[in-house]
Amino acid sequence: MALMPKRVKYRKQQRGKMKGNATRSNFVAFGEYGLQTLESHWITGRQIEAGRVAATHHLRREGKVHIRIFPHHSYTAKPLETRMGKGKAEIAGWVARVKPGNILYEIGGVPEEIAKAALVRVAHKMPVRCRLVTRRHALG
Amino acid sequence: MADRAKIKAEIRTSLGSRHAAAIRRQGKLPAVVYGHKEAPVAVALDTHEFIEHLHHGNRLFDVDMDGAKATLLVKDLQYDHLGKNVIHADMVRVDLKEKVTLTVSVELRGMAKGAAEGGILDQHLDHLEVECLVTEIPDVIGVSIKELGLDEAIHAGDVTLPAGVTLVTDPEALLVTCHVLAAAKTTEEMEAEAPTAPEVITQRAEEETE
Repeated sequence: MALMPKRVKYRKQQRGKMKGNATRSNFVAFGEYGLQTLESHWITGRQIEAGRVAATHHLRREGKVHIRIFPHHSYTAKPLETRMGKGKAEIAGWVARVKPGNILYEIGGVPEEIAKAALVRVAHKMPVRCRLVTRRHALG
Repeated sequence: MADRAKIKAEIRTSLGSRHAAAIRRQGKLPAVVYGHKEAPVAVALDTHEFIEHLHHGNRLFDVDMDGAKATLLVKDLQYDHLGKNVIHADMVRVDLKEKVTLTVSVELRGMAKGAAEGGILDQHLDHLEVECLVTEIPDVIGVSIKELGLDEAIHAGDVTLPAGVTLVTDPEALLVTCHVLAAAKTTEEMEAEAPTAPEVITQRAEEETE
């Protein structure tokens, strides 16, 4: 199974809206380079895992990869050829909801070229437009 | 530290996010001036000029606020959601003879001994909170990591600070470590660890009451 929470209060959730921009988790805090989303979207547990594999495979045990998102939100889907109604369907997967500005992944402990090449590979696995960002060390 | 920069500021009378956005469209930066037990004053700075000074390492400014002159220290900056542009500045009134507490960025210098032995460098803190005279604020605090071996760490208390600068951050705070990275887990290993379905807290409570 892909990433999902260990414990939840309620299994099924309403879909909700993703208005506005990220007001937190929008700067590089752990590594030296990061991948920042420019769009609001749902990112599934499988996509997050695919990004992690792409990064670690490129880094070959050299750097450290930090995943800054987690699929806390469940979504449901009705089986094919099923009539509407009869209550909310069963859980089909778990997603992380991201807003413009959220940092998705961070990489540290490797030179800039290697980190950026790894993050480009991760960006290809993401369902959103992304940009590469570096850690801000000084004011301005 | 770089010399004090001289800038002009206009006092803002119309406050609120809508007015602040209008000011930004005119190429100005909304800022607030406070400290020394005086009333806070909302001002507008020239964005380009202010950012240029920041890029040159200036943190101390001689500001002419519609005729009233004051020495101000940049206390904090707010950025937009992408972290690209500065959208607001906090400036605190200072006296040239007073001591201030502020954060100064840390610069790691040299190649760690442990990195050559297969370890990776993990920087946990990229700034330190220090207390010093306003005129003696260091641009950066250099930390030599040449002697940092495998599975060793440098704490905030180990850093040699410039004369006249005292540490405010907890001396036990971890600054940088060098360690061997654990093998990355495969997707199969991750899946084996992950639960097939999450435990539902409310469901268990219902069963117990029954």
